[in-house]
Amino acid sequence: MPDLAWFVVRRLAAAVLVMLALSFAVYLIFYAIPADPANLACGKPCTPDRLEQARHFMQLDQSTIQQYLNFLKGIFAGRTFGDGTAAVHCNAPCFGYSFPLARPVTTLILERLPITASIALGAAVLWLIIGVSLGVVAALNRGRPLDRLSVGFALVGVASPSFLIGLLAILVFGFWLNMVPVSGYIPLTDSPVDWAWHLVTPWLVLAVLQAASYIRLTRAQMMEELNLDHITTARAKGAGEARVVLTHGLRGALVPIVTLFGLDLGGLLGGAILTEKVFSMQGLGDLLISAVAQLDVAVVVGTTLFSAFLIILANLLVDIVHGVLDPRVSHG
Amino acid sequence: MARPVLEVHDLHVTFRTDGGLVPAVDGIDFAVAAGETLAIVGESGSGKSVSSAAVMGLLPGNADVTGEVLLDGRDLVGLPSDELRKVRGNDIALVFQDALSALNPYYSVGWQVAEAYRLHHGKSRDASKKEAQRQAVRMLDLVGIPDAARRANSYPHEFSGGMRQRVVIAMALVNNPKVLIADEPTTALDVTVQAQIMRLLEDVQEEFGTALVLISHDLGVVAEVADDVLVMYAGRAAERGTVRDLFHRAAHPYSLGLLGAMPRVDVPPKPRLTTIPGSPPSPGSISTGCPFQPRCAYTERVGERCITERPELTPRPGEGDHEAACHLGRRPSDA
Repeated sequence: MPDLAWFVVRRLAAAVLVMLALSFAVYLIFYAIPADPANLACGKPCTPDRLEQARHFMQLDQSTIQQYLNFLKGIFAGRTFGDGTAAVHCNAPCFGYSFPLARPVTTLILERLPITASIALGAAVLWLIIGVSLGVVAALNRGRPLDRLSVGFALVGVASPSFLIGLLAILVFGFWLNMVPVSGYIPLTDSPVDWAWHLVTPWLVLAVLQAASYIRLTRAQMMEELNLDHITTARAKGAGEARVVLTHGLRGALVPIVTLFGLDLGGLLGGAILTEKVFSMQGLGDLLISAVAQLDVAVVVGTTLFSAFLIILANLLVDIVHGVLDPRVSHG
Repeated sequence: MARPVLEVHDLHVTFRTDGGLVPAVDGIDFAVAAGETLAIVGESGSGKSVSSAAVMGLLPGNADVTGEVLLDGRDLVGLPSDELRKVRGNDIALVFQDALSALNPYYSVGWQVAEAYRLHHGKSRDASKKEAQRQAVRMLDLVGIPDAARRANSYPHEFSGGMRQRVVIAMALVNNPKVLIADEPTTALDVTVQAQIMRLLEDVQEEFGTALVLISHDLGVVAEVADDVLVMYAGRAAERGTVRDLFHRAAHPYSLGLLGAMPRVDVPPKPRLTTIPGSPPSPGSISTGCPFQPRCAYTERVGERCITERPELTPRPGEGDHEAACHLGRRPSDA
């Protein structure tokens, strides 16, 4: 499919431009805040002399434009702060250096990503299954109790904040029933069972919250699809009801569902801030929140850009998948 | 007439709606034999499409169907859905009016024709998948899709309207059904393409000996291809007979109205085509008398009876079982 390849190339080029513009905007915004990160690094008591030293070391004494150019250069060539024995290296691709954490931002993101990805991917699989199947069931039982139940469930999910459902889940399943661990993360590579066991509550909580929109979307799409003439054709051909609903009905409802799914997942991979906080998991969301609290501007910029990158990537993937799913869409 | 493959007796269809019971088809009978063509004609809302959907068992859950639909003597009404499923697309197939919306946009046309084949041919998966694809290409070729083997991989939106209708016909015929119901198969097409599609239907009918039920409001097409005609009005039979009975000896004022509204080249031209005044009654609003009475030009000649008494089908002079439901005894034009 040369059309598709060319489409991807064009979209990737556009994505790079968007990232560039975005990084500049993020840089300007975060470096315009009145507080001085060097103040924290300077320690107490902070003499003007030491403050100036810290600012020089962190390269905060240069102009904003220069700092931004340094940042861009660091992505390709790496950066070195200070000199001599005190020098701090940040290898390419360097997306900034966190002085409070004394680690390159790239390393921090890569360390935290598996945790967030574990939460997001597991929850995504669950909410997709729950949301689509309840949506189909609701559409097939329009106006009947099963429909009302699914729509009611969706309403509760949409209306509930994650910290409420999360804390309730911890209270009920973690403390009262003592079924699952209440917090913490075990890497998949250490023990797959413990990994899943620690994640099952956050998965369910996120799935309940997210499934709501999938129930409503699937229900609406399916009711529309099942009224189309080609559904009657399928019946007239002698297709059984299951085949009519799944092969012919759900197939048509797939495009909007996949679109929503891609964007939701892309957004969530950038950090499930509240869920991570509730379950005390040190994912990207937690990294971002801590960085904001500590005025760790490099980390804030890095994670923000990373989230933006994921959203752009998700958009691109959704567009590609859209073309695969719907033969009427051409990428030419 | 040879022994009919499809016989419909006293078919009633009533829809249960929020506004009460709405009768859409109110007791019709028809039959069609192998290789023959029955045309069902009438205005929109006369119940002709509902009748065909009822024969296929394709009506929604709020429709009550009574009467008999005999396919080779076997009653399809009230058949369990799994039994009915085996009949649909296998013994009786349907060709729809709008091929674009009748085809699934997400699957290639070859896949869709092959699916119709696979749904009625065995379980041995892989062997029959290949065979189904082969059959699909054979059918697509037979209905006149050029380069069928390659075009089978194309999607419905990549075809023209006429080619799409050929695909729908291929899909309907792939299992060599005994009865083919074509619900206004040419309405959505250009005039030149209409003729091609009708020719195709005639050809395949001849080749396979299929009984064809043609639902149409195009009397020109009906005159050309039908053997028998059923004229429906407001869910009932207004007149039935052979195609010559209808075109030369029409006995019902409604049939005459339809004929008068049709341009003809075989009779001296009239200054202008006539129309039937008014519009068909909405289902459920029909009272005791003749449903056509409010629009009928002959009511005065018959008088009270048209308002008080519903006319039943009674024999009329003609070739076969020519019948009309009208209180007017003689042919209206003779009066």
